[in-house]
Order: sequence, then structure tokens, then C-alpha cells
Amino acid sequence: MTTLSCAQAEDLLGANALDALTPQEARDVQEHLRGCVEHRQVAQELAQTVSLLALAVDEREPAPDLRDRILASIQSASSEPVHKPVLGPVVVPIRRAPRLPRWAPRPAVAALAAGVLLALGIGTYAGYRLGQESSRAVAYQFAGSSLAPGARANLVYLRDKHQAVVAVSGLQPLASGQVYEMWLVKKSGQAVDQGVTAASDGRITAQMTADLSQFKQFAITIESGERPAPTTPPVLAGSLTGAGA
Amino acid sequence: MSGGDAPDQDGEMVAQLQRGEAVGVEALYDKYGRLAYSLAYRILMERTAAEDVVQEAFLAMWRNARTFNAARGNLRNWLLSIVHNRAIDRVRGSTRIRKESQIETMERLIEVPDAWETVSAHLERKQILEGFALLPDAQRRTLELSYFGGYTHMEIAGEMGVPLGTVKGRMRMGLEKMRTFLQARGVTV
Repeated sequence: MTTLSCAQAEDLLGANALDALTPQEARDVQEHLRGCVEHRQVAQELAQTVSLLALAVDEREPAPDLRDRILASIQSASSEPVHKPVLGPVVVPIRRAPRLPRWAPRPAVAALAAGVLLALGIGTYAGYRLGQESSRAVAYQFAGSSLAPGARANLVYLRDKHQAVVAVSGLQPLASGQVYEMWLVKKSGQAVDQGVTAASDGRITAQMTADLSQFKQFAITIESGERPAPTTPPVLAGSLTGAGA
Repeated sequence: MSGGDAPDQDGEMVAQLQRGEAVGVEALYDKYGRLAYSLAYRILMERTAAEDVVQEAFLAMWRNARTFNAARGNLRNWLLSIVHNRAIDRVRGSTRIRKESQIETMERLIEVPDAWETVSAHLERKQILEGFALLPDAQRRTLELSYFGGYTHMEIAGEMGVPLGTVKGRMRMGLEKMRTFLQARGVTV
């Protein structure tokens, strides 16, 4: 270790900010900075200037799937399943689904959704085919937020039909006048209303018609009547990564 | 999208990341992913390597979000510093990657997009490019070789054929001129 004079350190501060010193020089400068308030200030200012050089780049588009790869790496690195698909998107061949009424908690619809979701469920997603007509489908599982830790949702999206079926369970009973409102959140952050329901039995089965590749998130909030935009934090939310072709 | 918005609007993203919510990573990528990739590509000049670095940087932010302290810097600069460090590590670890194209001068960047002019959110970058343009050629090239090329001061001295002391002086003077220029135009430095 060399003890630098202020004049010697002064000479190295620019290169230090640019991380262009030898390791030994860098250590000597750091040692000097620990005891020199004036040069510590200069070093900080130079480092701040260097950080702005990162903005002086020609903009380029990354590969379209880089976002999905990053989220997949986050998913695999995390043991916390909240706010993202537990399994990630699962692509399987599936029969063409009939159009379902919006927010339709009827047994027939529930049975169809449950059948689809069961078939796409954990460990059983391979090779599912019920008819000759097939399409590409993506399946997601979402967990409730801290506001509804018992809630779970299964969502199946038929890419070529731009239709999705979602089945939610474990929701809490609502106070009088409240409803569960479902949202698709655009990549811009704008939330688009997908309808409301009381979900008196804690379950929702519903259908959405939308190109989910244009949305980044599915969410459910509790509202006092149908709202044009969410006014409360989501009780359940999840990423729609992989909805594109 | 990529980096034009004020970094002080990133508070919610920080909160989401620190709560361990993946939606925070999504928001971070939507806002700064393109800029992060652009920086990585500028340094590495190779698409796959640049994407790998960006992926590593986002994963690092996800894992270390709790250590982020807004008082010590904004989220954008934190991300970009991770990208820069990892990209430079790759450059320094592999001379194969270091190409002449990597040390192209900043004039090319300055000539290209007048698009900056139409997007007020990119004013900060415009000022930085202008500041670079006003530097003496030798100072600008020295900063480029160092920041985007990962060259040490000794390597730059060899590359440019000048004494080491000259390189140190150009680094310091170039940065100080940039700082003075940006401060005079209200860019937070």
C-alpha cells in the first residue's frame, strides 16, 4: 500500500472515476479518500458525471423475448409464487373453445373452465387434445396478494381465438355494495375493466375476449361498484408473460 | 419508454422490488430495459452477449433490491451501473470481444438522431451528447475508450501513443468539462 499525497491522488481521480486504474492504484486512491474530505467530494462528483455517460448511447431494440427470459429467470430464482405464474406459460394443443358469456358463474361454464383448467393443470398439460380442431393455449396460475392470501386463479388463454377463461377460488365474502372487478393491464399501465361480480361463494368463473399479448397483467380488485379504473390495490394479480405467439 | 422519465418517479418500482414482487421487475424492464440493452450492446457490440448481461443485471437487482438506498442514487443509475460493470468485466475478460468498432467515436451518435429533439423526455441525453461533442477530440476519445471500451489508462496511453500523465489529465479534464456543461443546463449531475 502506497500512501498518496493530495497531489498524487489529484492526478488519479479522473481515472479512478472511470475505473481505469490498476488494482493497486485503485486501492491507494480509496485509502486516500478515506482521510481526505475534499477529494472524497471531488471523487463523488466525478463518479456522478461518469454515471451519466451511460445515457449517451444509440438506442437499440433488444430481442422481443428478452423480457420473458428475464421474468423466467426471476421466477426460477424465486420461491415466492405471488404475482407471477407458478409454472410459467404452458403451451399445449387444445380443442377450440365455445364462446362463453362474460362473467358467467353458471355450472356449464364452470364445468368447461374447470375441465380445461384441470387438463392444463400441474403435471397433466402434455398432449391434451379433445377434438380435431386445435389451437395454441397458454395457462397461468396466480396467487392472491397479501389482501387475499387464500385466493387462487387459473387462467387459460386461447391465442388464436383471443379468448381467455379464468377460474378464481378462495375469495372472501364482500361487504354490502362491494364487487370484485377484473382488469387487464396494458403495457402502458392502463387498466381495462373486464367486468364485475359479487362472487358470493368465493368463486368466479369468467370469460374475456381480448388479445392478451397487448396486456402485461391480469388483476382483480375490490371496488364499491364498477369503476373505470382501479381504486384499490389488487387482491390478486399476475403477469401475462408469454401470451404472445 | 427507456429512461426518459424522471428517476424520482421510480419509487413504486423500488417498493415492489423490495417486496419481492415480480411485477416490479416487469415495470423496471418496461421502463429501462431498452436503455439497459443499448448500453450493454454499445460496450459489447454483440447481441447475445448484451442480452445475457441485461438478464444478469435484472436478476441481480431482483436479488439485491433490499440493499437499494434511494438516498445514494436513483434506480436507473443503479441498473445501468450494474449493466456497465458486467459488460466491462466481459470485455476485460475477453480481448476477443474488443473490436475496433467498439472504439468508434461519439460523432456517429451525435449525427444520427435528431429524434431527441422531438422527445422532451430525452432532453437529458441530448445534453450529454452535446457535452460530448464539445469536448476536444482527444478527451472525448479517451473517455470513450475508458467507459465504453473498458480500457485502463495504461492501455489508452498505448492505444493513443501518448504519455500516461496525458491520459490521466484528459480523463479528469474531460469529465470536469462534461460536468460543468451539464450543470449549466440543469442536468442533475
